[in-house]
Amino acid sequence: MTIYIVPLIFLTVLGISFLRKKDAYSAFVKGAGSALELMAGVLPYLMAVMIACELFRTSGASAVFSGFMSPALETVGIPGELSELVLLRPLSGAGSLSVLENIYATYGTDCFIGRCASVVYGSSETVFYVSAIYFSKSEVRNLRYAIPLALVAAFIGNIVGCNLCRLI
Amino acid sequence: MAFIWIIIMLISIAALIFADPSAVLSSMITGANGAVSLALTLVALYGIWLGLFEVLDGTGIADKLARLLRPVVRRLFKGESAETEKYVSMNISANLLGLGNAATPMGIGAVGSMKRGRNKAIATTNMIMLVVISATSLQIFPSTVISMRAAAGSANPADFLLPCIAATVTSTIVGIIGVKLLGRLLEKREAKKDRKRATKTYLSTDLSETAPTDVTLNVAGKANDRKNDFMLNCDPLTSKALNGHAPNESVSRGSGETEKSL
Repeated sequence: MTIYIVPLIFLTVLGISFLRKKDAYSAFVKGAGSALELMAGVLPYLMAVMIACELFRTSGASAVFSGFMSPALETVGIPGELSELVLLRPLSGAGSLSVLENIYATYGTDCFIGRCASVVYGSSETVFYVSAIYFSKSEVRNLRYAIPLALVAAFIGNIVGCNLCRLI
Repeated sequence: MAFIWIIIMLISIAALIFADPSAVLSSMITGANGAVSLALTLVALYGIWLGLFEVLDGTGIADKLARLLRPVVRRLFKGESAETEKYVSMNISANLLGLGNAATPMGIGAVGSMKRGRNKAIATTNMIMLVVISATSLQIFPSTVISMRAAAGSANPADFLLPCIAATVTSTIVGIIGVKLLGRLLEKREAKKDRKRATKTYLSTDLSETAPTDVTLNVAGKANDRKNDFMLNCDPLTSKALNGHAPNESVSRGSGETEKSL
């Protein structure tokens, strides 16, 4: 079903534009032209986040941290095996995806751990990436409580999801 | 953000000095390389979605969508201009459809539009709301995970969907409640400081530059925005002074509905 979403969106929009006799071509070019400028503003933040994430992973610091986190996660109902996934999910989409792949390979997809991992990955976003990118074009630098709150909210979601996995 | 970043960098580099000093530069290069290649992919993706958005905007569908989502958007994002509401509703719709890459440029646009007319470099409650809503994910159908599960040989790739939706909804609701509560709490604390500042700005701003109609509209928009009771009672000129140099365009466009919602 989802494979039809994108084609249908484009078909509808371009179709309506054609029927209303608007200049879709120039509009598209104008919009697409702003992509490079947008990315030029975003790239430095992307680099900073991804370099930090890569260092965090290769240094083994993330493994140590997740080792500490495991028992705490177990007490709230999240399998301890998922600690690295829970830790990396807000940091990096690609990094956490490879961790997810690892979990599937080690434990399988349909067991409790595999399903919990799917929930953890599927129910949240890369918080740091979103926060860095959304503010990249404005001069706003002080995000106040945005990141901690998003992390706490995502974590509570994880707890609910994993405990539901146990029941269903 | 800055604090977390420096902490992660310090810990990781310190750890690598003992474990494998040569890996510091190489993994930084890996990270930077990843950023550059991701950026290239994203330029292509953003080009497509921003192009589509421009077409969408020209047809008037974006305005219709914004109107459709207005009751929800209004409740979550108080006192924003029509342009912001349009960006926000596009962002939310793209997120709901699982098109995260389409949602991002809309989110950037929304934050930029919220920032206009403010000169503080501190995120407003509405900006935080947008980030929290996007970061806690609104996606109803996590297609990436489903296809990965299928690829890994799952007997039932969509088996986790129910708990996953429950988790998504919970996190988003917790996030929204959190923003509303914290926003109100902190704003009350700020209100006292603001009142002092307001009288100062009032005295120092040149009041002759704006037409009277604009001033009244500003009161409607601004009072709604700040949620501070004292703002409702203050006279138009003070409010104008507080608002600084907000672009007249956004004020007059959003004004009709703003007055109604008051």
